Amino acid sequence: MKRLVRMFGTTTFRLALVYTVIFGLSVSGLFGFILVTTDVFAERQTETAIIAEVAAFQEAFQREGIPGLVQAINRRADPNFGWAGIYLLIDGASNALAGNIRTWPRDFDANDVWINFEVRDMSKAPEETADVQAQQFVIPGGYKFLVGRDLREAREFRGQLIRSLNIGLALTLALGMIGGVAFSRSIMGRIEAITSTCQQIMSGELSRRVPVTRTSDELGQLTLRINQMLDQIERLMTGMQQVSDNVAHDLRTPLTSLRNELETALYQTSDGSPQRLSIEKAITAADKLLTTFRALLRIARTEAGVQGNFEALDIVSIVRDVAELYEPLADEKGLQFDTRLSPVQEISGDRQLIAQAFSNLVDNAVKYTQPGGKVTLVAEQHEGCSSFVVADTGPGIPPEYRERVLERMFRLEESRTSPGSGLGLSLVAAVAKSHNLELKLDDNCPGLSVTLVFGRNSDSKDSR
Amino acid sequence: MRILIIEDDLQAGQYLAKGLRESGYVVDLAEDGNTGLLMATSENYDAMIVDRMLPGTDGISIVEAVRDAEISSPILFLSALGEVEDRVSGLKAGGDDYLVKPFAFSELLARLEALLRRSTTTTEATFLSAGDLEMDILARTVKRQGKRVYLHPREFRLLEYLVRHTGQVVTRTMLLEHVWEYHFDPQTNVIDVHISRLRQKIDKPFDIPILHTVRGAGYKLEPVSQS
Repeated sequence: MKRLVRMFGTTTFRLALVYTVIFGLSVSGLFGFILVTTDVFAERQTETAIIAEVAAFQEAFQREGIPGLVQAINRRADPNFGWAGIYLLIDGASNALAGNIRTWPRDFDANDVWINFEVRDMSKAPEETADVQAQQFVIPGGYKFLVGRDLREAREFRGQLIRSLNIGLALTLALGMIGGVAFSRSIMGRIEAITSTCQQIMSGELSRRVPVTRTSDELGQLTLRINQMLDQIERLMTGMQQVSDNVAHDLRTPLTSLRNELETALYQTSDGSPQRLSIEKAITAADKLLTTFRALLRIARTEAGVQGNFEALDIVSIVRDVAELYEPLADEKGLQFDTRLSPVQEISGDRQLIAQAFSNLVDNAVKYTQPGGKVTLVAEQHEGCSSFVVADTGPGIPPEYRERVLERMFRLEESRTSPGSGLGLSLVAAVAKSHNLELKLDDNCPGLSVTLVFGRNSDSKDSR
Repeated sequence: MRILIIEDDLQAGQYLAKGLRESGYVVDLAEDGNTGLLMATSENYDAMIVDRMLPGTDGISIVEAVRDAEISSPILFLSALGEVEDRVSGLKAGGDDYLVKPFAFSELLARLEALLRRSTTTTEATFLSAGDLEMDILARTVKRQGKRVYLHPREFRLLEYLVRHTGQVVTRTMLLEHVWEYHFDPQTNVIDVHISRLRQKIDKPFDIPILHTVRGAGYKLEPVSQS
């Protein structure tokens, strides 16, 4: 039912409907034209037949007068001929002299040549009335004469024609509707494929492509172009990442040399000299850079998804270790540090990466929460999946940035002044991706809550 | 102390040799795998620093050959490959520690000294002492100047590592690797907080501090002589 409602809402369906209506209208127009021409033709045929008969009677009258006419009428009105023609000749006293109806129908205007009247069927069905078109003549001597045709047959034909045309019209509309729906469905299916692929790509699966079913038509061409465009975008994006990774890789060695030279210089200066402080500061800066580069390369490697070190892990014990590592730091900052860790099922993963992911999350939570705030770590086992939450009462992340903070080097304006490289959450995202985990950033009201769900993601993918 | 460096990158090798010489070591430098293997098996070195990627015989094979020749000198691997699986394969081949290039010289020196110290203390002692500090590893007790000091399990492991490397510089990375078994950099220097907690317990109640910070490098436990 929902599907049907959705179908009515689509552009393609509306288009199909409009086409059906236009098609139906033009078909009705065509049928109307057929009907009118047929009517005109039938009328003219009747008149021609009457005129031809009148000519024959006229000839008989001119040749032999009234008796000749009577004879001619009697010959024509022979019931064996059927009841196609209707004839009547009366004298001045309205006595019928010849013909196949008994009485003059009624008085007509003497100036009218063409007259129409109804008369009881004299041939087979006396209860029926026949519609008649006729020509009337007044013959000197008080005689009146009419030659006519029964219109019923023509009328019947017309009725039959209208019925046929109506059925045809209904059939056309029905077929148009069915065709429209089928057309709409097939087009809708293909457009839906494009839409859902685009959604998947926007949610981060950049390698997805729209399935190509046909390449010959416009939609197929559009699909091809979209895929080519996606290839191009992916190439540019990975190119950009590769550049940053290469920069990180290539700059590490000279930077280390720089650091080592500084260290050598440090040993050559005496304690307490002013140069010593500068050199120490320079070493700290170099260390910070090297750490950033290491983090970038680690993210790149994690994203490449090497699964060589996957083993069955007790994530809770890893989280407990991380909590224990950070608890003193939180304590020193005056934060409340809560852990609610219930046992969960074992999960396959890389111990170091999982530990670093949680370490980064807790690090952030401790870093951004003001003294007096609270950092909470939760582990819970649900049916078929387990979830881990790292929540704080810091400033949180506005909803519009929750996707972007996962990008490399992206930092919120407010946090630019605090130490950090903008890579912590990127690594978490990379670990989540390589381990097929669901990563959710939510509002902790106030603060940020980050949830990592193990298990559900891979299950739903398998069942799909 | 005699050290062998097997490193094909001339600049890096010479820098390393110079630094170690300045620190008081006798250093030999081999620039390819085959020469290095020959020197390692024919001469007598207290420790070796071996690059993993070498022309000729590669680092892993050298270490395996050295161990096959029943030479037990500590070996420190150097490598541009940084991931855990590389570390594991290096240690499996018979290496004692693993350092990813590029590295700070102080880090290398600290690790080398830790390795040399380990090779002199033959068995894992169950009772450690450093000046007036005593640790019973089995009973999990710590005493300083005969007074009992109560430590959390992690603090105990931290102190144990520092005591085992008494008089040596221990870097934060070394502590993370050996006390927490993490092979990554935490974003903040969380280690410092743990050290300061440890100081509260083993230094603050006593006159003379034994746990010192070495700027730009790490920490050092310097025992108070009991005279």
